[in-house]
Amino acid sequence: MSSAYIWAVIAGMGIANYAVRFLPMALLSRLELPRPLLRFLSFIPVTVMSALTVGEILRPDGQWLVPTSNPYLFAAIPTAFVYYKWRSFLGTTVAGIGFFLVFRALVG
Amino acid sequence: MSDMSDTALKQPACPSVRARFSRGMKLGLPILLGYMPVGMAFGILARTHGFNALQAVTCSATAIAGAGQFIGLSLMSAGESVFGVIAATTVVNLRYVLFGATLSTHMSSTPLAGQAALAFSVTDETFAVNIDDHRRGLADAYSMAGVGVIAWLGWVLGTAVGATAAGFIGDPYRFGVAFAMPAMFTALLVAQAEDRRHIVMAVVAGVLAIGFALLLPGKWYIVATAVTASALGAVIYK
Repeated sequence: MSSAYIWAVIAGMGIANYAVRFLPMALLSRLELPRPLLRFLSFIPVTVMSALTVGEILRPDGQWLVPTSNPYLFAAIPTAFVYYKWRSFLGTTVAGIGFFLVFRALVG
Repeated sequence: MSDMSDTALKQPACPSVRARFSRGMKLGLPILLGYMPVGMAFGILARTHGFNALQAVTCSATAIAGAGQFIGLSLMSAGESVFGVIAATTVVNLRYVLFGATLSTHMSSTPLAGQAALAFSVTDETFAVNIDDHRRGLADAYSMAGVGVIAWLGWVLGTAVGATAAGFIGDPYRFGVAFAMPAMFTALLVAQAEDRRHIVMAVVAGVLAIGFALLLPGKWYIVATAVTASALGAVIYK
């Protein structure tokens, strides 16, 4: 792989990835969006979060795990409870890592 | 733990710019924790694919593209053209269009220059944290910048460590950091499920996500699920 090829890819990736992030934000924040579209967008956070959680837990690193021996799935249950009870993202993340280590030792 | 949530989520009535920025950095700490090991993995892999350390770090610092960067590496070693690699990594991250559109509804008062700076750090994780913070009515441009900076640091520092010193550290996953992002998403999902309609939509999306993840390659299930479930929500809850 030539150095020029690598640098060309790096430059192009930087520009293209920035464009998909910036353009929709810049254009849509300047428009008065119709109500149905706003209603649609209001459900994006919860549905994205649900999809991300399901994907990361049932199929970590793109590999489906058998639910009965999936330490991610087992660890997610007490993790959800910890957040529900104490409402701290950082604390929940640290606690979740602890649960994960325990379940990975037990079932993973 | 309750101390952490208090310092991270509450703020005085009119906090300074610095206080808002550092509050964002605290909110973003779980992202740093999750990005470091994945960034390391990218740094190591990039070196084995012929990148030098500077190229690996520059790529992470400018693209912050996660899965897109890994796919880029494998396409490059398969001899794909420059355009082909760029197109593939961008398509993988087209879901950022949806994130940008959703964030735009909260950013009409942010000037264009501010949006231009904030757009740079939009990822799955920063979107999740910032949109939850907006829902609470706490987020502003400075807190979002704090979240973006800490996430960027995690990704870039991880890449730098992986590209230069991987041999000294060994496998970061033995510390259980593989669960950092799943844990954060789980917490954010619980936070989003605030009323009945959001709980219903979370369940609908969860079921759809399993189906789409079985059918579609890569991360496309995220966009497919979010668009389908949100359209259903917009029709049901008029």
